[in-house]
Amino acid sequence: MELHSHIPSGPLERKWDSHKANLKLVNPANKRKFSVIVVGTGLAGASAAATLAELGYNVTAITYHDSPRRAHSIAAQGGINAAKNYQNDGDSVWRLFYDTIKGGDFRSREANVYRLSEVSANIIDQCVAQGVPFAREYGGYLANRSFGGAQVSRTFYARGQTGQQLLLGAYQALSRQIGLGKVKMLNRKDMMDVVVVDGKARGVVIRDMRTGVIETVMGDAVVLATGGYGNVFYLSTNAKASNVTATFRAYKKGAAFANPCFTQIHPTCIPQSGDYQSKLTLMSESLRNDGRIWVPKNHGDHRAPGDIPEQDRDYYLERKYPSFGNLSPRDIASRAAKEACDDGRGVGPGGKGVYLDFSDAINRLGAKVIEDRYGNLFEMYERITGENPYEVPMRIYPAVHYTMGGLWVDYNLMSNIPGLFVLGEANFSDHGANRLGASALMQGLADGYFVIPYTIGGYFAKGGLSSVSSDTPEARQAVEQAAAKVQALLQINGKRTSQSFHRALGKIMWDKCGMARNAQGLQEALQEIPALREEFWSNLTLPGSGEQLNQSLDHASRVADFMEFAELMVRDALQREESCGGHFREEYQTEDGEALRNDADFAYVAAWGYGGEGAAPTLHREPLEFENVELATRSYK
Amino acid sequence: MKLRLHIWRQAGPSDQGMMKTYDLDNVSEHMSFLEMLDVLNEQLSERGEEPVAFEHDCREGICGSCGMVINGRPHGPLPRTTACQLHMRTFKDGDEIYIEPWRARAFPVIRDLVVDRSSFDRIIQSGGYVSVNTGNAQDGNTLPIPKVAADKAMDAAACIGCGACVAACPNSSAMLFTSAKAGHLSMLPQGQAERYSRSENMVLTMDAEGFGACSNHYECEAACPKGISADFIARLNRDFVKASLGTSA
Amino acid sequence: MRSFGEVWKSTVFQKWIMAVTGILLVLFLVGHLSGNLLIFLGPEAMNSYALGLKELLHGAGIWIARIGLLVMFFLHIRAGIILSARNRASKGIRNAKTEPRASSVASRSMIYTGLLIVVYVLYHLAHFTWGAVHAEYYSYIDAAGRHDVYRMVVESFQQPTIVVAYVVAMIVTGLHLNHAIASAFQTLGVTHPRFSPIIRSVGPLVGAGLALGFMAVPVAILLGLVGG
Repeated sequence: MELHSHIPSGPLERKWDSHKANLKLVNPANKRKFSVIVVGTGLAGASAAATLAELGYNVTAITYHDSPRRAHSIAAQGGINAAKNYQNDGDSVWRLFYDTIKGGDFRSREANVYRLSEVSANIIDQCVAQGVPFAREYGGYLANRSFGGAQVSRTFYARGQTGQQLLLGAYQALSRQIGLGKVKMLNRKDMMDVVVVDGKARGVVIRDMRTGVIETVMGDAVVLATGGYGNVFYLSTNAKASNVTATFRAYKKGAAFANPCFTQIHPTCIPQSGDYQSKLTLMSESLRNDGRIWVPKNHGDHRAPGDIPEQDRDYYLERKYPSFGNLSPRDIASRAAKEACDDGRGVGPGGKGVYLDFSDAINRLGAKVIEDRYGNLFEMYERITGENPYEVPMRIYPAVHYTMGGLWVDYNLMSNIPGLFVLGEANFSDHGANRLGASALMQGLADGYFVIPYTIGGYFAKGGLSSVSSDTPEARQAVEQAAAKVQALLQINGKRTSQSFHRALGKIMWDKCGMARNAQGLQEALQEIPALREEFWSNLTLPGSGEQLNQSLDHASRVADFMEFAELMVRDALQREESCGGHFREEYQTEDGEALRNDADFAYVAAWGYGGEGAAPTLHREPLEFENVELATRSYK
Repeated sequence: MKLRLHIWRQAGPSDQGMMKTYDLDNVSEHMSFLEMLDVLNEQLSERGEEPVAFEHDCREGICGSCGMVINGRPHGPLPRTTACQLHMRTFKDGDEIYIEPWRARAFPVIRDLVVDRSSFDRIIQSGGYVSVNTGNAQDGNTLPIPKVAADKAMDAAACIGCGACVAACPNSSAMLFTSAKAGHLSMLPQGQAERYSRSENMVLTMDAEGFGACSNHYECEAACPKGISADFIARLNRDFVKASLGTSA
Repeated sequence: MRSFGEVWKSTVFQKWIMAVTGILLVLFLVGHLSGNLLIFLGPEAMNSYALGLKELLHGAGIWIARIGLLVMFFLHIRAGIILSARNRASKGIRNAKTEPRASSVASRSMIYTGLLIVVYVLYHLAHFTWGAVHAEYYSYIDAAGRHDVYRMVVESFQQPTIVVAYVVAMIVTGLHLNHAIASAFQTLGVTHPRFSPIIRSVGPLVGAGLALGFMAVPVAILLGLVGG
């Protein structure tokens, strides 16, 4: 496997412009001769499908939802970053670039991140033009808020529903192209595999979730925008259906999987309440703008929060990181919460929680202002917990939220399989070992609106794509394999449900490959996962048939892939003998418990190649070169 | 707590369907309504029975996937709350709960509580957008938008497309859904160019999909988990007639 | 741009027709009621008013009004029937359990109250316009040689059964108007953050006022307060 990042030469500021200038073009009359398959209709997928159709390509978009509007991008609350500097507070493309590289703990590519910062401003313009109702100041101009990991105000937002509004903008653009007949939309279709012909991605295998029919869709390029794999932990803030199948199947077809161990734990989620818990709910990080995080100073202080006087409270983020305080980056805030709880000072049931307190902000600004800013979040919190956060501080605890790892892509967002492009959370490219708040929306839309429309043309213009049909042996074989997998699942006839297996897998991953990891735990996980997988394939119960809507089958099929993927993730965590960003190895920390990065040995992208059934995967290293920033110890003190 | 559940079971689109009764024990008050159904489904699966199919995804009240009529009300008894955000502390020990799918000819049942809402997508496809290609946009601050207008647009844009409005409406009308999107775009300067053709096309598509007419019962507004106001329906009525009588360009 | 045929058939346009004709019919009711209340001023006021109506524009006025009313009734009823059939079909299977939150008995029974009003209007015309029922009160002539409307009304409403029929009809009409008036404004798209709530609460009051006003005449006569 050879991995060429194809980063253009020249100064950082000129790379994207010169790359665009050098990319070959497809003339408008020829664009309609190319067909593109876009899998996933979240921010990245919908924006890519719409834009490619606008350019004239034939697009087929695929989602497993009943409508493209349901993708989990919709749940992003806080906002989207853009280097507009409307606030005149010193923001610039460079500063956003630097914040992102530093926030990612120097484990991402300079060129990709710089391009992301450059196009960030265009995203806002595009969304405004689509009618996205961003928050406005009284003068009618766009409003900003600040976010973790940044010292400028550059986050644009639409109440606490920014992801929803951006996704609906992209959905509407996509809907327009569907209405015009330029995008063929396939709903309720689960992608089962990628079809690779002559070494190039030429199609996908899909299963109709209503009828069970398995078939292929063929084309000239495949774009995967299928999101992250946080649900490998079972409990996460991801939507229930979010899964790794599409990217993992691509990996098994030869695409490299990069940095799978880089997972982000979000510091502000509502703590778990019981064993039946099906998912964790995130409270936007923007709450940390006005909320203060604390735990009791003393062990065993079980007084009600309001009865604990100021001197008995430990505002630990403000104490440890005075310059960023409650706005420290996510990985740092999460780990600090874990430390406080591990120290026995956690609050709420099981001691798994810390307070996020708004009483100071309410005293300073009034309840009305707080309601304007966070009203819907407060309502949501009260609905879930039954407690009123205007009166009692919220209880929060970290939860799995986002996965920085993903399929390896080059500067064109193309994987090492030619014609297989990967966008958004599904790729690994921009966030390094930790993603900053309000940057996921930015990346998804940057990839879909402003990167892929250029780079896919460069791929097509090179030529060499003969026509393929669903009858090619590769396509037929992929269909047969997918059908065999479904049959195999249905024929196990065991005792244990896929939900139960998923929970068990999640527990292994959270305990051994979660917020803090060590070699011993990871080694244990490497024993436990295959054992659980074996039980899965011999003791799964799966009622119903494969010929009609069967949600248990959909789930079991996804869990089967998580079972294999989990092992890859653990291997990656094991080989990375350093602590960086979301990856904290307990063996590698400073005396005061901060992450200890090892730039000499680990400043690389770990890209894993599939080794075949039963064989170990192979590790490829793409060295990361930093020509424009100095590798510094990340300090938010 | 212990509950008696009456749930609509229907094996497929062409199946007749019927209400079936299930008893469920040990329900915690901290469970969400969907988690309660998860527990039921685990028990059914372990007994080798087919679990109840219901749509759900984000479980945070924003994706709009979930939807079921709970005791005669879409999304259940609490105002401005989706089924996934409804928690069992709303119910008490010994309660009987009726759980049924959205009912509308334009939302045919696929299985159990899962219905086909693609008619909503087709309404949007007929005009629920601003025709702006990627790359056409000017700077986002070129057009100041009064905060009041932006806020009101946001009120309408908050729609999650769940279909509770249709389920609540005695006529299965989709006017609240349609008018929310039309209203969102008509509040903003960017939406003006296509304002009247949009309202005409969206209403006619809505009719063609087989939704009923609005009789101003206001059930939709009361059922909407995002509290979208029926004032947007009035606004669409006005725009539609303006469009059809040709007073607009 | 869509053809007028498409627009005409649309639900929103039919609702608009319903609202416009409905408001005109309510205005007609206001006029009708003010005529009716003349009965409290005695036979002279009533009978000369009745004659005046007949002779308006040399007799053309009343026909213009009648044709106008007929067209409005026709469009209103036609739209009502079409929409209500459509609405029934759109719902399809009903849920085993339904708990309304915002609709009222009035709003849910518009088609029934509407059809009852049609029956009543036919009876009312047969009674006072065509003299086809209760014909015994129809052919009185007053001292000035005019049709004695006053005596016709008074003697009719001295019959308890007739009064009951009219009172019931007015209750039904009141129920119809309870939803109708505010609803028409909503359909016409008259919304305003300040005035919409007022319309929503004043609509039912106007409906009740009209119904009570119409009821006042037969009830007063039956109680002997008029013509006794």
